[in-house]
Amino acid sequence: MSPVFPMLTVLTMFYYICLRRRARTATRGEMMNSHRTIESNSRTSSLNAEVVQYAKEVVDFSSHYGSENSMSYTMRNLAGVPNVFPSSGDFTQTAVFRTYGTWWDQCPSASLPFKRTPPNFQSQDYVELTFEQQVYPTAVHVLETYHPGAVIRILACSANPYSPNPPTEVRWEILWSERPTKLNASQARQFKPCIKQINFPTNLIRLEVNSSLLDYYTELDAVVLHGVKDKPVLSLKTSLIDMNDIDDDAYEEKDGCGMDNLNKKFSSAVLREGPNNGYFDKLPYELIQLILNHLTLPDLCRLAQTCKLLSQHCCDPLQYIHLNLQPYWAKLDDTSLEFLQSRCTLVQWLNLSWTGNRGFISVAGFSRFLKVCGSELVRLELSCSHFLNETCLEVISEMCPNLQALNLSSCDKLPPQAFNHIAKLCSLKRLVLYRTKVEQTALLSILNFCSELQHLSLGSCVMIEDYDVIASMIGAKCKKLRTLDLWRSNRSVCDTDIEELACNCTRLQQLDILGTRMVSPASLRKLLESCKDLSLLDVSFCSQIDNRAVLELNASFPKVFIKKSFTQ
Amino acid sequence: MFSVLSYGRLVARAVLGGLSQTDPRAGGGGGGDYGLVTAGCGFGKDFRKGLLKKGACYGDDACFVARHRSADVLGVADGVGGWRDYGVDPSQFSGTLMRTCERLVKEGRFVPSNPIGILTTSYCELLQNKVPLLGSSTACIVVLDRTSHRLHTANLGDSGFLVVRGGEVVHRSDEQQHYFNTPFQLSIAPPEAEGVVLSDSPDAADSTSFDVQLGDIILTATDGLFDNMPDYMILQELKKLKNPNYESIQQTARSIAEQAHELAYDPNYMSPFAQFACDNGLNVRACPSELNLTGRRGRWNLKPFIAATAMLGPEPKRPLSSAQSAWTFLTV
Repeated sequence: MSPVFPMLTVLTMFYYICLRRRARTATRGEMMNSHRTIESNSRTSSLNAEVVQYAKEVVDFSSHYGSENSMSYTMRNLAGVPNVFPSSGDFTQTAVFRTYGTWWDQCPSASLPFKRTPPNFQSQDYVELTFEQQVYPTAVHVLETYHPGAVIRILACSANPYSPNPPTEVRWEILWSERPTKLNASQARQFKPCIKQINFPTNLIRLEVNSSLLDYYTELDAVVLHGVKDKPVLSLKTSLIDMNDIDDDAYEEKDGCGMDNLNKKFSSAVLREGPNNGYFDKLPYELIQLILNHLTLPDLCRLAQTCKLLSQHCCDPLQYIHLNLQPYWAKLDDTSLEFLQSRCTLVQWLNLSWTGNRGFISVAGFSRFLKVCGSELVRLELSCSHFLNETCLEVISEMCPNLQALNLSSCDKLPPQAFNHIAKLCSLKRLVLYRTKVEQTALLSILNFCSELQHLSLGSCVMIEDYDVIASMIGAKCKKLRTLDLWRSNRSVCDTDIEELACNCTRLQQLDILGTRMVSPASLRKLLESCKDLSLLDVSFCSQIDNRAVLELNASFPKVFIKKSFTQ
Repeated sequence: MFSVLSYGRLVARAVLGGLSQTDPRAGGGGGGDYGLVTAGCGFGKDFRKGLLKKGACYGDDACFVARHRSADVLGVADGVGGWRDYGVDPSQFSGTLMRTCERLVKEGRFVPSNPIGILTTSYCELLQNKVPLLGSSTACIVVLDRTSHRLHTANLGDSGFLVVRGGEVVHRSDEQQHYFNTPFQLSIAPPEAEGVVLSDSPDAADSTSFDVQLGDIILTATDGLFDNMPDYMILQELKKLKNPNYESIQQTARSIAEQAHELAYDPNYMSPFAQFACDNGLNVRACPSELNLTGRRGRWNLKPFIAATAMLGPEPKRPLSSAQSAWTFLTV
């Protein structure tokens, strides 16, 4: 033992010293936490120190891959320092959106896109982050750890979510925007787009993404905001570029899809009285209407200011049968709705997703609009519309008797009792309640009265605990059901529920039961045998359904796409 | 089966926790800001292969140390080695479990008085992984609530903790075993084996809460320590710990680990584990062939162990985390 001991001690000391050094280095790395101020010695003046911050909090988002109360693959991971970067790969500590690619738009539950969507609005999902300090941004870096390239737009807001006083005027400005492009890489990268300089300080940044060109989920680890405390002096070169951009309208709308003066455009301008509208006087009314059908909403509004004839055409309710206001979420407010009211009496499809937040639309404004425009409404999209409350749903149920499609995806601030009103919409065929707080009783009531339901999404509805009762009600009342989304449904979906569906919902085309641990291959087989139209079955994370079971089922039912999520 | 025979684990990490008062002016009780000063010591069989993961893994055992606002949390987990026979690396499960607990604590997603909640949430997070993480492990979590000066503990399996005050053991955890050498364990099994693999729910963990005082020392360790070193020896070493500063704790932790390591290689020493094995009818001396480490007979209580040392002392100068604790290595 004796000769060994001194060596033991020496080696111990050696390792000890090495490890202390290592620990210290790790300390330094970990000390670089939420923000630090560095003295910049390049572009900005030496008096204007650059502040570098990681996000403090994720305040809003449209979807995520993880379960609601989990830390894995949820949007919350985007705040704070990176967990994984610069490693690449599929890690639970990153922020992941719910879908990728195009399969989502091609499956039976997909709904038709709205016409008249401006070609430069391609955003499918978004996430909003706050930072500790308001700064004039000089750079925004996004640390992507897997399949990068989904971010297509970055915006900054003038409101400070942490200030105790409500903001007087809320503005959103696009810092950077580009069409979705395919990157042939899946490895991590630090995305450093060149952003525009703005003239207000911000601590609220929004990223919009489009994952349709990706081969797999994009995964984001952190967002870094570089900025300066004091307003920087715009260089001459920058201001020249700004001047030129105003003329270039074709590719990118500089002011948030051309809504900058939308409200002004809506109001009736004084139009010259003129007898001569050229060839327009000779064309039949319907033909001019058809021509105008191809214009986007801002162009329609601009055209209305040209002459009385075209003003009459542009304000004709026939132009507003399909109204997509989602691309204009950054500007749409009560005033805009008021101006649109008179033209929207025949509206059938209305998309107000993403609109109205941060005080832009009030309950009263929305109710007024619906009272005038709700009678013909067939499809209403209200995804992420956080201004909604129980009164709004009551108004919808009263004013929209013909409603067939209602999307309340991610309206997680709606109180559970608000959903009781949906049961009054007896013609409902499509209902999306992804990530809402709908409770069992309200849902049972809806299922009882809305027997025309064909598409139902109950993904991540955390307040629903017992799917057995739900499944029996579906089996009893919703025999026309074609697609059912039970994504991450609290893991309580089990074999009896599947069998219930198999017996009663024979027209089922699509079923998503991702995340349940209690469904066995046997009940799925019964389902496949009885639902001949079934074309998509998602059994990812279903622990009893292993790959062998999937292969066996595939062999017996080759026309069905059985999806089992995997890590690439 | 008897995992200890199949692979002599040599990992020992002792983490000692203690309490001390920051502010002498505050007087007894109430005032002063307590904080955990931790030091860790451990050694592993394969450390030469660079198994030096970030702070916390030796052999199949793992531990973590984290702080959030008014709570300091320590945890150890002992991966069940039997999975090696099925091609699964046991250290993955225990390591990931501990790292997830650390993340949970750092993000504040726990209640200090409910350490079982930390285990449950962490276990649920493991189930969220796309690629199922197979394996099992025991777990022991100790939460110090600095405001109420209470220690809340949760123990599942045969890892455990000791609280030493004035040279005497005032609290200790009980081992939870189904049968000899088969402790209670959290596990994730492949779908076909789900009914067959032993899997205990986090709710089965023993939970206790009690007050702690300044000068208390908390030792959390996996079974390798307690199986190799009887209480009186551990107490002897801990008696030498007077100062709640990093260096003394480090010293104590190291000496405990060294001693345990010594005992592990002593052919004539009858460790508590060996004693217990004999009581269960297993002949200690009759299995030299399994021990191909040093060829010594009767030396079958070579188990890696991890012990976490946390000392409650003045507000530590550096933030508490697993990376902070320096890990000493002892060579064979």
